[in-house]
Amino acid sequence: MNHPAPTTDGLRPMTEIQIRQTRDYIDSLASVSETYWDMVSIGDVLSRELHITPELVILYADAVEDFNPWYEGWRMNTWRIPGESPFGGAVVPPLLVSHFVLSVQFDHTRPFAIGSIHTYHDSEILEPIPVGATVRITTRAIDKFIKRERRYVRHEVTVEDVASGTLYFRETRDILSR
Amino acid sequence: MTTTASADTPATAYRITPDTPVGYRLMGVKKKAAIQLMGSRLWGRFNPNHWDPVYAASTGLQAPIQTGEMSSAYIAEMCVNHFGADFFRNARVVCKYVASTLANEVITTHGVVREKAPKGRGYRFTVDIWADNEAGEKKTVGWIEVDVGV
Repeated sequence: MNHPAPTTDGLRPMTEIQIRQTRDYIDSLASVSETYWDMVSIGDVLSRELHITPELVILYADAVEDFNPWYEGWRMNTWRIPGESPFGGAVVPPLLVSHFVLSVQFDHTRPFAIGSIHTYHDSEILEPIPVGATVRITTRAIDKFIKRERRYVRHEVTVEDVASGTLYFRETRDILSR
Repeated sequence: MTTTASADTPATAYRITPDTPVGYRLMGVKKKAAIQLMGSRLWGRFNPNHWDPVYAASTGLQAPIQTGEMSSAYIAEMCVNHFGADFFRNARVVCKYVASTLANEVITTHGVVREKAPKGRGYRFTVDIWADNEAGEKKTVGWIEVDVGV
């Protein structure tokens, strides 16, 4: 059965100018992109600090429609608040830092390797992270392998508190490269 | 939209305790793979596989696919509903994205207690978890481990 060709506005309404802006944006991404497989060498270590502000937590929680009040260090009308959770103040959703690993393992000083797909993670949530903490995310490329003719890159990850050194989170994760 | 508790049932009624038996079924959460969220700056804006039908087709995908981490977040939400504060300390989450979640699919998370191993004054629970679509096709599979009452 023939399917109609996909269109830029096939899943959401757009005017002609929105379609043009979208195509220009995607062309700009694709024109400078390498494959992730080629970007990474085994042994590569990348590390960045992330200040987990109340606004960042709200951005994440809203984007997965998770309205647990434990995560609220920011509230409309009041703005920044201490929040409440079983640990005292507001805490970070348990897998938020796992998402931001992406912004470390994909070297942010180089164009993003579009077309890559996250396929697996084995995550240890070791301690609750208070909203407002600054953490250091460190990734180490530990393997590149081919499985069923697909190319994967594996990383080990740690997330530590910059001020106290508390180890909050560890992870092993795989990315499928183009 | 969450489905963990009705308006007149406190969410704490679903909390897993040391007495919870093997075989207990967690109540999941249900979410729609909304293209507007999939293409947000937070999730997939920098990777058009996650929001552009034309680019996704050029890489062999049937439609834009949700980032796997969104499914993991849904599973984590289910786990916090059931394990509360215990899920934030010395827990483990293993997820494998076995099939793509396509735009507009409705995803439901699931969990079944597979094992509880004595630990300290309580137990370390192992729970099989997965997320599937309306047709029951699994998209994410894995397991979690959480200390309860330890």
